[in-house]
Amino acid sequence: MERKLFLKNGLAALGLAAIAPLANACKKNTDGSTDTTTTTSGTDSTGGTSSTTCSTTPTETAGPFPTITPSSLVKSNIVGDRTGVAFTIKIYIKNKNASCAALAGAIVDIWHCDKDGYYSEYGGTSMQTVDYTSVHFLRGRQTTDSNGLVTFTSIFPGWYTSRATHIHVHVYNSSGTSLLVTQIAFPEGSSSAVYLVNTTGSSYGYTKGMTGYTYNSSDTVFTDDSSGLETATCTGNLSGGYTLAHTINVSA
Amino acid sequence: MQKGMIRLCYRKVIDVHSVKPWDKLVFEDTYKEFLMQVQLYNQDKKYFSFSDIITYVPAAEKLHFLVSAAVIGYLKQLQGRVPDLVNNLGRLFLPFKNFRFEIINSDVKDKSKHQVAVNFFTDPLVWHDTINNMLLLSVPGNTENGELLTELFTLPPFVSIYSLKIPAPYGTTEQGKDLPG
Repeated sequence: MERKLFLKNGLAALGLAAIAPLANACKKNTDGSTDTTTTTSGTDSTGGTSSTTCSTTPTETAGPFPTITPSSLVKSNIVGDRTGVAFTIKIYIKNKNASCAALAGAIVDIWHCDKDGYYSEYGGTSMQTVDYTSVHFLRGRQTTDSNGLVTFTSIFPGWYTSRATHIHVHVYNSSGTSLLVTQIAFPEGSSSAVYLVNTTGSSYGYTKGMTGYTYNSSDTVFTDDSSGLETATCTGNLSGGYTLAHTINVSA
Repeated sequence: MQKGMIRLCYRKVIDVHSVKPWDKLVFEDTYKEFLMQVQLYNQDKKYFSFSDIITYVPAAEKLHFLVSAAVIGYLKQLQGRVPDLVNNLGRLFLPFKNFRFEIINSDVKDKSKHQVAVNFFTDPLVWHDTINNMLLLSVPGNTENGELLTELFTLPPFVSIYSLKIPAPYGTTEQGKDLPG
């Protein structure tokens, strides 16, 4: 680090324009810090990181010009390659700073686990495939309509040790600034969707039952929600699927 | 004749200096996605640099995966061919289905620090021989009138042989299977 500081100060003294290409050349080793990148003022035409500058130049018809493509999270149907009981999620976003009027144009990210309690993710060095229908399963992003509503098509979430059934929600304003990170809890009881899906949904792949289940009152996240503000309503049945509806108030 | 089956890995680094249209779109959109997703792990807005965030909030390692959603649409536009890497005739030829996206550096306050990499893993290729500094390769199934079509390819920087599968000795029926050791 001291050497880099010395180099940087030295470059500043010599005049950056003349030295900038050298600084760029040094950046080819990309796994370190980028301390030397204070040299961009109109001098980066050499391109720092093209790794093919010394190999054969492509000499074929150019492919179609790349087009702006939204994140693959932007989807209403988030089922991907998962299976389970059909589940529709309706979330209304309201603005506490406007007498709880519907908040249009808010971005809503949701994610939840599959019937066996697993989230889509990868770790370490594992590869992904370009088949995006399965990579980010049970994760989605929608923008609220004029009623403040987003709707997702999914499968009923399962559960895993130490947590009650839940859905994660991250609400942003229209420019992507975080407004609220929260979770939605599910109603409980012998006629609840959580109970029926987990105890009678084996033909849909729900095999855990309710033994060892963590109820909302013992859940680390929902235990302080005695008034049930975080608990959604859930209607429907196994064969026809369930629909969850929930309102989230944010300060926008 | 073949030395083995290989898969190449190309680590394509994209940062503020990238000039190609595809690279620029990936740079812009992965930074936008990073800014959104990082807020989950930085709710107190305590940290600015990606390195600080993953150091102090270990769960933020998931950002590699979460931000990769921004790049998948662009990968599909490549139609299964690794970009930039051409054979000795100057044509793209390397088929891929697998990739891994990584955030190398980024900063909530400084877009110019944003630097990501897409690792392209090619489908298995037959490595027949090495001629001077070039690999003589073929893409399985690429034949014409019963002849195997081959490719000459020089390994440029940021490209490595990711895996090697050595064929069994001739005369056995185990050709193409893994040998011990």
